[in-house]
Amino acid sequence: MRRLKRDRIYLLLLAPALLHYLLFRYVPMFGITVSFMDYNLFKGVWASDWVGFKHYRTFFNSPDAWVIIRNTLVLGIYKFVFSFPAPIILAILFHEMRWKKYRKFVQTVSYMPYFLSQVVISSTLIMLLSPSTGWINHVIESFGFDPILFLQKSGWFRTIFVGSDVWQTAGYNSIIFLAALTTIDPQLYEAAKMDGAGRWKQTLHVTLPGIVPAIVILLILHLGYILEVSFDKAFLLGNAANMAVSDIVSTYVYRLGILGGSFSYATAIDVSMAVVSLLFIIVANQISRRVGETSLW
Amino acid sequence: MKKGLLTGVSLLFLIAMMISACSKSDSSSSPSSSTEPTSSASATQSASPALPEPATISILTEDSTAWPPKKDWDAWRWIKEETNITVNQIVTTGPESLALAVSSGDLPDVISLFPQDVQKFGPQGAFEDLSKHMDKMPNVKAYLDSKPDIKARVTSPTGEIYNIINDGAGESSQMVWFYREDIFQKHSLTPPKTWDELYTVSKKLKELYPDSYPFMFRHGLQTLDTFGPTFGIYPEFYPDPQNPAKLKYGLQDPAAKTMVEYLNKFLKDGLMPQDWLTMDYKAWTQFMATNKSFITLQFIGQIETMNGQLPEGNLEFMVPPIGLGDKPYLPRGGYEIYGHAVASNSKNKDAAFRFLDYIYSERGKEIQSWGREGETYNIVDGKRKFIDAYKEPNDLRIISGIQTAGTYGWFDYNAWLALVKETEQDQYVQAPKYRFPVTNLPPALTSEEAESITTDLDQLKKFWQGEVTKFIYGERPMSEWDAFVKDLDKYNLEKIRALYQTALDRQIANMK
Repeated sequence: MRRLKRDRIYLLLLAPALLHYLLFRYVPMFGITVSFMDYNLFKGVWASDWVGFKHYRTFFNSPDAWVIIRNTLVLGIYKFVFSFPAPIILAILFHEMRWKKYRKFVQTVSYMPYFLSQVVISSTLIMLLSPSTGWINHVIESFGFDPILFLQKSGWFRTIFVGSDVWQTAGYNSIIFLAALTTIDPQLYEAAKMDGAGRWKQTLHVTLPGIVPAIVILLILHLGYILEVSFDKAFLLGNAANMAVSDIVSTYVYRLGILGGSFSYATAIDVSMAVVSLLFIIVANQISRRVGETSLW
Repeated sequence: MKKGLLTGVSLLFLIAMMISACSKSDSSSSPSSSTEPTSSASATQSASPALPEPATISILTEDSTAWPPKKDWDAWRWIKEETNITVNQIVTTGPESLALAVSSGDLPDVISLFPQDVQKFGPQGAFEDLSKHMDKMPNVKAYLDSKPDIKARVTSPTGEIYNIINDGAGESSQMVWFYREDIFQKHSLTPPKTWDELYTVSKKLKELYPDSYPFMFRHGLQTLDTFGPTFGIYPEFYPDPQNPAKLKYGLQDPAAKTMVEYLNKFLKDGLMPQDWLTMDYKAWTQFMATNKSFITLQFIGQIETMNGQLPEGNLEFMVPPIGLGDKPYLPRGGYEIYGHAVASNSKNKDAAFRFLDYIYSERGKEIQSWGREGETYNIVDGKRKFIDAYKEPNDLRIISGIQTAGTYGWFDYNAWLALVKETEQDQYVQAPKYRFPVTNLPPALTSEEAESITTDLDQLKKFWQGEVTKFIYGERPMSEWDAFVKDLDKYNLEKIRALYQTALDRQIANMK
């Protein structure tokens, strides 16, 4: 009790955030019950019919399910494999830069794309990649090649999706690693130099081990995000030509659940995905606990 | 002392934030309780004999930023003058507003909404079944009887009528073909009458303007709904014009193959842009305004819009080219996709019925479209002419609320046309001549029926859209078209068609 009284300012500061989490993350969990019913919007939650696992069964039995789960997993894993190391490499590169002013400028420029909305980026990409009016294809044509149909064929979709994501998030995510880098004791570098290590060996044996705790924690968190592929970009860049790879769980749920009006079905799908994400995080955490010292819990 | 000040300030800050957040949401969603009539002379001005007693209803409408809703719009005043009903307009705050209103049970008396919303919420009990109250709404009954298309669209599979769909202002949703008349005249070209002529004239234009894509459209695959009628079909389900009681699936018709072949030829020869699939409005206007395209398809109002933006030259309505058959056809557009419903838990149902009966009556049509003589228009040379305050059609909406959601049910499009430039009136006269005899609107299904085919429909659509795109791009040779049509059956096409056929039979039976 005395601790509460003493820390009441901090608790007050924390209060809005706690309230937000309570209202927008915990209370809505009650809505999971909707997935076990044939939800009637007008009658409400208490008066709708209970159907048990019907919607879950419908989803997993439909041949669509595996295609969209595959698409979501592939996009999620590609994103993870490319977007996760990128900020680390970027942070190390920034760390090694000598000219302070130039470094500050490049760093700031690298953060900026993060604040653009997905809608803006998708519209810009559609314009840039257009085979008839896009700037990128004009450059390709000036070299004498045929214009590439970036968005009109399914082959390029994953590259564009993941590439634009790396471009957007690498700078911002590197901030955490930059902060971790500053905690490395400079004496370790001196010791390494005295032992004859060049720049590259120093990076390998001093820098990287120094930020391993940060890497591991973020790795676990990101593993949980693999299935949360962003709706906006997949929806806006997707079309009839690349539907085979661009239709993911969230666009499917949007089409059938929200446009089609089956809230229960949409909820059932989302709950299934959330359960899988949770499994990912638990497994990752167990592994990390066995292998190293850092883990989320 | 310092600590106390800190606590106090942060507490105040928190409270202030919460108050401002709460009050903001309150003011935008709660209807105002005061209902002052805007025209005190209304009782003496009305032309009809003794008005029924005054009433107030609330109506939910979209919030259009292009014509911000106003309480003192003339359109609301005329309703009050004619029916003694004061209408409180509540605007939606986003696409989820209707769902929120339904789930909270806190619905306004009248709701203006799309038929899809009715399909979603109607069977759940949110809206009043109007078929039981037709005796109170003789004008609505007459309106529906005179428009069998609309009556079919509003009658649910089990006979209920949950909404009344508007009519009259839908002309702007008609897709048309148009072309650069000045370019054609400059090179002595004639507008094509068939798709073959369309091909040759496009090739000629490409030779004259090598950097252009003479033939262009911006609605991607959806444009097939406009190309289809020129070949005598729609790509998906529609009633056979030769036998409207039977549903057919357009892609199974050999005409569909011809259509896709043409599109593939155009793309191969560089006569239409490679990114026809992902074009957006902005790119379309650029193509048209910079002489990069000369023949296109768009909503009918775009002819006037683009003519205003072209630095030189003019666009003119083009009679649709014939693909197959002997008559040129445009898709049967021009219908409205908006209407009104009454909340089932409304406390002012009688007033709501009276309101609907007025806006769907002949008198309501006249007044809500034109206004009053001497006030908004004058008779000049035997024809009605709006006063000078209205310079273009959109002014009718902005200044007086004419032709906005909730202010009309039956609209006289001549009122809109009266303000359209003389030179741009031609397309509105021409377009209706070429309308295909049937629409491709699917018949209404019960919610169980709809649920049973949701996934099938989605898969079928994904399949044909993906494959047709491949055929057009040439990724799949046209020799495989017949195999593709056979593959359609694998997607439960017959099951879906049979279900829709039952629904159509039921609809026809209900109409008798």
